[in-house]
Amino acid sequence: MFVGAIILGCQKENTEEVLDPYVLRRPDYFPEITYPISGNQISKSGFELGKKLFNDPILSLDNSIACSNCHVKAVAFTDPQHNPSVGIFEREGSRNSPMIANMAFQPEFLWDGGITHLDFVPIFAIENEKEMAETAESVVRKLNASPIYPTLFKKTFPSLDTITAPYMLKALSQYMLLLVSDQSKYDQFLRGEANLSSEETAGLTLFKAKCASCHSGALFTNYAFLDNGLDVTHKDIGRALISARAEDTGKFKVPSLRNILLTAPYMHDGRFKTINEAIDHYRFHVKDTPNLDTRLKTNGKPGISLTDEEVENLVSFLKTLTDYKFISNPIF
Amino acid sequence: MNKILIMSLLALIITSCGKDEVIEKGAGSIDIEFDNVAVINNIQNQLSLVTPGSTNYTYTNGIGQPFNLNLLRYYISGIKLEGPNGASFTDEIKVDVAASKGIYLIDESKLAANIITLENVPAGEYNKISFTVGVDTSGVKEGASGGVLDPATCKMFWNWNSGYIAVKIEGQSPVSNGGVGGTETLNSSSVNGIAYHVGGWRNVEGSAFVNNNKSLSFNFDTNAKVEKGLEPHVHMILDVISLFKGQNIIDFTGNHNVHKPIDGKPLADNIPNAFSFDHLHQ
Ligand code: HEC
Ligand code: HEC
Repeated sequence: MFVGAIILGCQKENTEEVLDPYVLRRPDYFPEITYPISGNQISKSGFELGKKLFNDPILSLDNSIACSNCHVKAVAFTDPQHNPSVGIFEREGSRNSPMIANMAFQPEFLWDGGITHLDFVPIFAIENEKEMAETAESVVRKLNASPIYPTLFKKTFPSLDTITAPYMLKALSQYMLLLVSDQSKYDQFLRGEANLSSEETAGLTLFKAKCASCHSGALFTNYAFLDNGLDVTHKDIGRALISARAEDTGKFKVPSLRNILLTAPYMHDGRFKTINEAIDHYRFHVKDTPNLDTRLKTNGKPGISLTDEEVENLVSFLKTLTDYKFISNPIF
Repeated sequence: MNKILIMSLLALIITSCGKDEVIEKGAGSIDIEFDNVAVINNIQNQLSLVTPGSTNYTYTNGIGQPFNLNLLRYYISGIKLEGPNGASFTDEIKVDVAASKGIYLIDESKLAANIITLENVPAGEYNKISFTVGVDTSGVKEGASGGVLDPATCKMFWNWNSGYIAVKIEGQSPVSNGGVGGTETLNSSSVNGIAYHVGGWRNVEGSAFVNNNKSLSFNFDTNAKVEKGLEPHVHMILDVISLFKGQNIIDFTGNHNVHKPIDGKPLADNIPNAFSFDHLHQ
């Protein structure tokens, strides 16, 4: 009797419980978490430290550019301005800055999948001449010499004596891991909390038929490296840079389409400025490249046929992937 | 004085938590030393590194091309010892943000680092050693790790195709036409530079992903006796000449600027025969 009362009492409390925002949660329709979280337990102070680092130009050579310059929160942590991403000294980067959201579920990073663990992405950004042109070693020196960082690191990692790169990278990962985007209208629809309009529903049906073989699942990517027919000759050979296989030339990671209406410009080099240009690529401009994915050919002809009205419906559906709570979350 | 105090305190702690088997009864230590040599006419010569740009060439590869070295550094991980009577010891790999236990970086320019002291080795006789040249995949899968794996300081990490270099060699050969970039001791204007950054930790059939880590085993010619108070010392040899003339001849007029797994495979395949057990003393 007594026990029963306690349990009931607890249950009631549970329904009003505010979820701890510093815990990584996987919505049940998402893929498995790929990050080995046991080696980097997320804490509030670790997340906040990662966030501070992410927004601090101390990570670049001339202290002029932060991660957040190219990964802007208001546009789902992509870069709306530069095409392609421009790093320090106005050097032109060759690639478009991807969205940082749902990184905890992603198996490989960068457009070519060269990096297999989230911890190692920032060191690439820092040491890449086209991005931050700094060395991780010197960033660590700057952090140790700073009046604030030693205390902040010590708070998160009590056993630490001096700041080293692995601690900095773990903190950045803690921040990026919690950037989960799962509050769009489409998520509400999946959870049975909202209905889609008739246009959105028609768009979803089209999407499933014409796009979801590559942009699959809850994150709208199968994480494969594919050629969607952008170019016959390549300035950037993509996956082949990593695999050195001729058949991987011009293949890039299928990007997630979550928040797609916020993340222009589009494609690995940011060549399309609007979503309609990107869709028109599939309708009218798919090139019959040697490595073109067969799903982008109908009856031997490259391209996906869509009427103007179908495009409108498709765009209505894609709009449901915008997660306004994600980009306005004060914690992020 | 203090030392004795600490020791007895330790002993107290150890006896009080005997259940945890922190230290096995009668366990001891053993040293594994990696001596880097150049075997010329069957004679082992202590390796001597030259200053970058030196034109003093003392070594030759399998096809008579002279060369010298400025830098030699490699990882050893996953050490295991076994004995004829069932004694066995595995040096556990445990990497985290603070340290990377069980992974060692041998660096010819820091000779002190070339002796690995294994502690807590159960008492017994050992006559076989196994280890991996390179970083065991567990070291990559954990992400950023401290100690000798710290990607900012180890200088053994590829950041664009993430993974650790197993063996890093830089030097020069008069037949090389230089142009080596992305190195520590050379630059693209080093006319005779040679650079072999051999890494890669996963195999993907038919692709450039090759696992260049090598797992090797060697028998000792006598038993190493481990017990409290004894510290046997094992000498392993790496012959750098064999790296360039084993199963594959490394031609310095060919690809002498190696920075990818697939390009490093010919040299990696020479690794097993370049290592050997030399001798041990009690
Ligand atoms: C100059 C612009 C720029 C800066 C500064 C920058 N990035 Fe990036 N980021 C990019 C670009 C471009 C890519 C894609 C690179 C590629 O594919 O080769 C990228 C990729 C990434 C990715 C992988 C995303 C994915 O889906 O694969 C992550 C994570 C990331 N950056 C985090 C960071 C962090 C953390 C920092 C700060 C340490 C940072 N970036 C600084 C432009 C930038
Ligand atoms: C054969 C697989 C495949 C199919 C089918 C496919 N895509 Fe893609 N999509 C890709 C790949 C690969 C890329 C990245 C290409 C690049 O940047 O080089 C991409 C990129 C995109 C982008 C740019 C995203 C960004 O963040 O830059 C959009 C938008 C897009 N696709 C929409 C669609 C739509 C809409 C459909 C259906 C009409 C579709 N895709 C069908 C493979 C596919």
